[in-house]
Amino acid sequence: MVITRKTKQDKKSLEIDYKSLSDKRKLDNNPILNFEPNEQLKLLRYGVRKFAEDVLLPVAPIVDRDATFNWETARHLAKINAWGIEVPEKYGGAQLDSISHAITIEELSRVCASTGLSVSAHNSLGVYPILRWGTDEQKERYLPALASGKMIAGFSMTEPNAGSDVKKINCLARQVGKGFLLNGSKIFVTNGGIASILIVISRYKTENGKKGMTAFILDNTMDGYEIGKLEDKMGMRGSSTTSIYFNDLFISQENVLGLISDGFKIAMNTLDVGRIGIAAQALGIARAAYEHSVEYSKRRIQFDKPIANFQGISFKLAEMATKIETARLLVYKAAHMRNQGRDISKEAAMCKYYSSQIARDITQEAIQVHGGYGYMKDLPLERYYRDAKACEIYEGTTEIMKMIISQQILRGNV
Amino acid sequence: MVNIFVLIKQVPGTHNLEIDKKNGALIREGIETMINPDDLYALELGLKLKERYGGNTTALTMGPSQAEFALRECLAMGVDEAIHVCDQIFAYSDTLQTTLVLKEVFDKIKNYDLIITGSQTSDSSTGQVPYQLSEALDIPLITDIFSIELKNGFVQCQRNFGHESQNIQVELPIILRVRKHFNKPRPLSLLGIKKAFEKGIKKFDFNSLNCPDSIDGCNKSPTRVVKTEKISLQRKNEIIKGTITEKIQKIIEIIQEHGIEKIWVGGAHE
Ligand SMILES: Cc1cc2nc3c(=O)[nH]c(=O)nc-3n(C[C@H](O)[C@H](O)[C@H](O)COP(=O)(O)OP(=O)(O)OC[C@H]3O[C@@H](n4cnc5c(N)ncnc54)[C@H](O)[C@@H]3O)c2cc1C
Repeated sequence: MVITRKTKQDKKSLEIDYKSLSDKRKLDNNPILNFEPNEQLKLLRYGVRKFAEDVLLPVAPIVDRDATFNWETARHLAKINAWGIEVPEKYGGAQLDSISHAITIEELSRVCASTGLSVSAHNSLGVYPILRWGTDEQKERYLPALASGKMIAGFSMTEPNAGSDVKKINCLARQVGKGFLLNGSKIFVTNGGIASILIVISRYKTENGKKGMTAFILDNTMDGYEIGKLEDKMGMRGSSTTSIYFNDLFISQENVLGLISDGFKIAMNTLDVGRIGIAAQALGIARAAYEHSVEYSKRRIQFDKPIANFQGISFKLAEMATKIETARLLVYKAAHMRNQGRDISKEAAMCKYYSSQIARDITQEAIQVHGGYGYMKDLPLERYYRDAKACEIYEGTTEIMKMIISQQILRGNV
Repeated sequence: MVNIFVLIKQVPGTHNLEIDKKNGALIREGIETMINPDDLYALELGLKLKERYGGNTTALTMGPSQAEFALRECLAMGVDEAIHVCDQIFAYSDTLQTTLVLKEVFDKIKNYDLIITGSQTSDSSTGQVPYQLSEALDIPLITDIFSIELKNGFVQCQRNFGHESQNIQVELPIILRVRKHFNKPRPLSLLGIKKAFEKGIKKFDFNSLNCPDSIDGCNKSPTRVVKTEKISLQRKNEIIKGTITEKIQKIIEIIQEHGIEKIWVGGAHE
């Protein structure tokens, strides 16, 4: 190997190398399709992965077994700004974009999907609506506590008789003087048992008879706010899911989010954003199941060969890898479109539907690759399967995603 | 105000490196990398000392262009500045050549109080650089400390030495070589990661350092890696049949085949 010594150039040695920095930025904005994550995203993935393997790995099976939310974990998450991913720096958040947000959720969920869910619901369903529709006063009041994890947030729309058919919700806020009196019950609220504040979607009726749907920011300390039973779930057991009851709960004008009649729009927009998070979560779980399968099939010897040498197994790996790659592209594309401020309802529904479906497929096949060992609780495979299933249901079922996609297509968004 | 420098190295993130069949060197291109694990403890100490006493922290590495990524990680952890010493001519430097370059760097920087290093790198495990740098810069080196305080230009630290614990007081500047598990490196925060890419990285190369001609990593490194070989430990199975005495006899034979002359059986004492 020949080393040519560089000719002596007149270089300003101590100068900061802005040129290579700006060259990199240019590359990132290259209009030609660029599938290569930039250095910042690479470091982000690396950093969050390391954090997850260090902090979440030991607790993931425990929170699943005991169905408890781990507050110690919450404090660790606060140290890395995980409770304020998109919150502006002035409120104590990291002020990152949608792709960074997705990668963070993906990497947390790869190790502990329950934690991924709590963090995702907080950031995209609880914090995001305040960021987007909150008044300055509401932002000042809530964002610093939310970004630092002192307060955890959630979003509540589903009711016993209104799941997919969200327009049928029954919770009603009647105007009384300058505020509203809210009555009704909500179910399946993610972070229900741990959230200090909830974004609640409800009907309203004004004194002069106007009706519609509205969004409130409710504090769990308000009179008439009651947390119901903790659901005993199949998966995502480390995430708290409860019902919430409202009994003559008085809400002043300060706690109305956006315009009084904006409730439905806020809910739909928020769910669009949330769906990228759920897709990222599913992707993380799928990735974990796939990585285990690759490693295991190379090590497990049957018929004198690693089982990876059998086409019956290796084709499963090929299918898993291809599905993950596809899901990733959908997730990052939807996130990219959101960064650009475009309408994402179709793309968010696509990535949510596809990622959650392949996560269910892959986690199921991963158990198959592991045989009997995969079925036992000593390995995390059966947990991945139970966790992945939830992604096909919440924030709109797969069927509802297909409805949204097809409606968009038939409306001309082909 | 203490001026703290932490020396770091980017190392392969795996132990399964392939070897180039042509020149016997490790293939480092295109593989995952990480900050040398020991160096994270050095970084953490640097950051802690800054939090306690104020000052400025700088991460410094000599390495190929991709080592910039490791410096970004240091910035994300919270160091104030990063310096990248990089030139084609520094490639293949052994520890002595590395030290000579680092000496040039510190001669240029002039204003340094504390240079902190890890104990060794996971890819070559020599642990020599801190000792050599201490010689080259003619400043004291303290190793294996378990507590440290800074006071009016002095460092007071406690150090483990075999069965004794030493209290040492020494004037700055010094080099500290810290052990793993001295403290726990902090995780990267999302905000830190973002901020890391808003900062610039100072670059030094052969010319900007005005290096003497004695610096030439490839041709003037006294250490030569003649060959790198993968070793694989393979266990052989052999089922020994027969009566118990026959079995023992056979085992003794096998052991003796491996050149072991004297064998005591059954815990007998002479
Ligand atoms: C773990 C978990 C956490 C949750 N967290 C939250 C939360 O934080 N906030 C919140 O508001 N809600 C939450 N949910 C509720 C969730 O969003 C709903 O369960 C979901 O929207 C489905 O509603 P449903 O359960 O009433 O099912 P239903 O709407 O009764 O659906 C039953 C089945 O019918 C199908 N179906 C319904 N309508 C149609 C149609 N028109 N065409 C074809 N098929 C149809 C559905 O796809 C589904 O397969 C959570 C649920 C779970 C399981």
